[in-house]
Formats: sequence, C-alpha cells, structure tokens
Amino acid sequence: MIVIILSSFVASFGFGIIFNIKGKKLVAAAVAGCLGSVVYTLLMNHGEAEPVCMLLASISFSVFSEVFARLYHTPVTTFVICALIPLVPGKGMYMTMQEVVAGNTNGALQEGLATLSNAGGLALGIIAVSSLTRLFFRYKSIHKKHLLENQ
Amino acid sequence: MDANKLISISAYAGRLLLESGAETYRVEESMVRICHAFGAKDAQSFVTPTGIMVSLMDEGQNFATVSRIQNRGVDLNRIDLVNDLCRSIQQKQLTIDEFDEQLHEIAAMKRYNFPTTVFFAALGAGGFAFFFGGNWYDAAAAFFTGMAIKVISILMERFEINSFFNMGISACAAELLSLIFIQFSSDMNHSVIIISSIMLLVPGLAITNAVRDIVAGDYLSGMARAMEAFLVAIAIAIGTGIVYSIWIKTMGGMLL
Repeated sequence: MIVIILSSFVASFGFGIIFNIKGKKLVAAAVAGCLGSVVYTLLMNHGEAEPVCMLLASISFSVFSEVFARLYHTPVTTFVICALIPLVPGKGMYMTMQEVVAGNTNGALQEGLATLSNAGGLALGIIAVSSLTRLFFRYKSIHKKHLLENQ
Repeated sequence: MDANKLISISAYAGRLLLESGAETYRVEESMVRICHAFGAKDAQSFVTPTGIMVSLMDEGQNFATVSRIQNRGVDLNRIDLVNDLCRSIQQKQLTIDEFDEQLHEIAAMKRYNFPTTVFFAALGAGGFAFFFGGNWYDAAAAFFTGMAIKVISILMERFEINSFFNMGISACAAELLSLIFIQFSSDMNHSVIIISSIMLLVPGLAITNAVRDIVAGDYLSGMARAMEAFLVAIAIAIGTGIVYSIWIKTMGGMLL
C-alpha cells in the first residue's frame, strides 16, 4: 500500500510539472492523484468489479479537486487532470493491442470492452461530481436571490 | 470605451486560455466577462477547440472578431492566472491598458525548463512502474524510456508536427526501447516497462475536457475532444503495435 501511495504521488507530481502547475497547487494535485489510486487499489483488493472501482475512485478525486479548487481559487481541471492520469486504462489499451497483433480476435474484443467500460466508469465519476457541483451552486445562488427578495 | 480595442483584447485573452487547454465554457464566460467589465452592454461569444468568435454591441454599432487557434498545448498555470485576472477586473479597478499589459506579462511567463520537464516526466514513468507492480529494474528501464519519449515528443511539438503522428512515433520509440531493455536482464517485465512509459502519452487533458464540455452543454467541443482522445489512443496502439509485431516476426521467440 505504501508503494502505491508513493508511486502514484510521484507519477502525478511528474505530470503536474509537465502540465506546468506551480507552488502548493502542485502538491495538492499530486495528493489528488494519490487519493484516486489508493481508493482504486483498496476496492480492487476488496474484490469489486473494475469499472466500479474506477467510478468510485474518480468520484473521490473529483470531490477532492472541487473542494481544493474552491480553497485555492483555481480552475478544477488543474487537479482533475493530474489525478486522472494514474487511473487511465493504459494497461488495457496495451493488452488489447497485443491481442490484436497476436491475431486473437476474441481476446482483443474482451480486453477492448473491459478497457472501454473502465474508461466509461472513470468519465462517469467526473460527470457525476461536476454536475452535482453545478446543481449545488445553482441552488445556492437561487436561494440567495430568494432571500434578498423576501427582505 | 474603445470597442475595437476591447474586442481585440478580449479575443486575445480567450486565445491565451484556449491555447493553454481551458474548457470551452470557461473561455466563453471569460471573454463575455471582460467585455461587460469594461462597459459593453451586449456581448456574445462562441468558442470551438479550433476557433473563437466574439461580438459586442456599442452605441448602435456591432463589432465582431474571429480568431483561429492553430496550436493547443497544456499550461494549467496560465489558465489559472488569466482566469484570476478576468475575475479581478472590477475589484482592482483595472483600466483596459493595465489589463492588456498584465495579459502580455502572463503570456511571456516561462514554463518549467526543458531538463526539469524531461526529468520529472521520467520520474513519473518510474513511479508508474511501481504502481503497476514492477521492481527496481523495471522502474529504471521505465525511467530511461520515459525520458527518451518525452524528449522525442517535445522536439516534435517544437516542429509543430500533428499530435497523432507525434504520439505514434513516441509510442514506437517506447516499444523499441523497452524491447531492447528486456534483452539485458531477465528480471524485467516487458509489459510493465512499456505500460508505464506510454502513460506519459495518454491524452489526460483531452479526456477531462471532453467530459467537462459535455457536462456544460458544449456538445460540439466535447465530441471534438472525445474524438481527439480516441484518435490519440489509437495512434499509441498503432505505434506500439507496429514495432511489436515486426520484432516478433524478425526476432521470433526472443521476447517471451
């Protein structure tokens, strides 16, 4: 587990540098990547299906990113992009390619579908959190207007 | 208010944002916000990943400008700064000239330099090797492979070669290097090395922005970016696939 924490932190930190994030935001982005991978690994060890792990992991890092984006007054993407990278199913993509090259169509379809559903889980988590945040802030602004009108 | 000046400055700000990889709604909102902050009553903008259109109405006259975006990179720090600047126009009581000056300051800001970027990219690839269950040998091999493909992809970006070709060639290099590395030691795991190094080429920004654009209702840009992510993934697969299959055909059982 310590290996997972350290390695995903280093990987996300490296990506933060590539994407030119500066200062304490860089550390927060790396922690977001760390969080996503830890949730993913814990659930995988618990025996959940892989797309479900992806979904829950992406929900966890998206919530973290939304909160820290408000704290640091920065766009949410700063954190989400770095946190997403360790979970992108590059492994599945490569396995699919290997099966294709070996001429094993069944294996390729199996790996390809697994890769697609994992990527779908990842995207769905980000969609869910960003839609809910929008809803929350929309509600808050309507509520505020309502209060002002009543006064 | 000088409407001509205002519209060109707001298009410039939008250009900076879009070229650094901001989401579509952020670019549109920022440009409209700039126009409103400097006194334009009716401002509209329309943004796609390849171009910007802004129009504003002033004293019965319509002004419009179109800005074509050719190259798109990733610079999250610049997005952050421009975004902050647009939001603080009214708080700080900036004049339009001060605003323009600060935009140019942001545009001239330096990124991390070339060696730093390459070193941390390589370190990231090394980190991924442990993440995918590799040992120290795998990490060392992934470190050097990652370093090589980052150098290649940055150099190709400088020559403005399109990103699919760029990713394909980088993936070829990654596969070739990792196949060479595993000839030296039997402790290395070929798939760990190659997977951790091609993670550097994964289109993380395109995926995130595709999802966020679709959520925000910008289906046109969202679909364009999803397509970009998909094509980059295909390019990586083809790049690794070509080298892998040639190697198997010519070297036979040396791999496995």
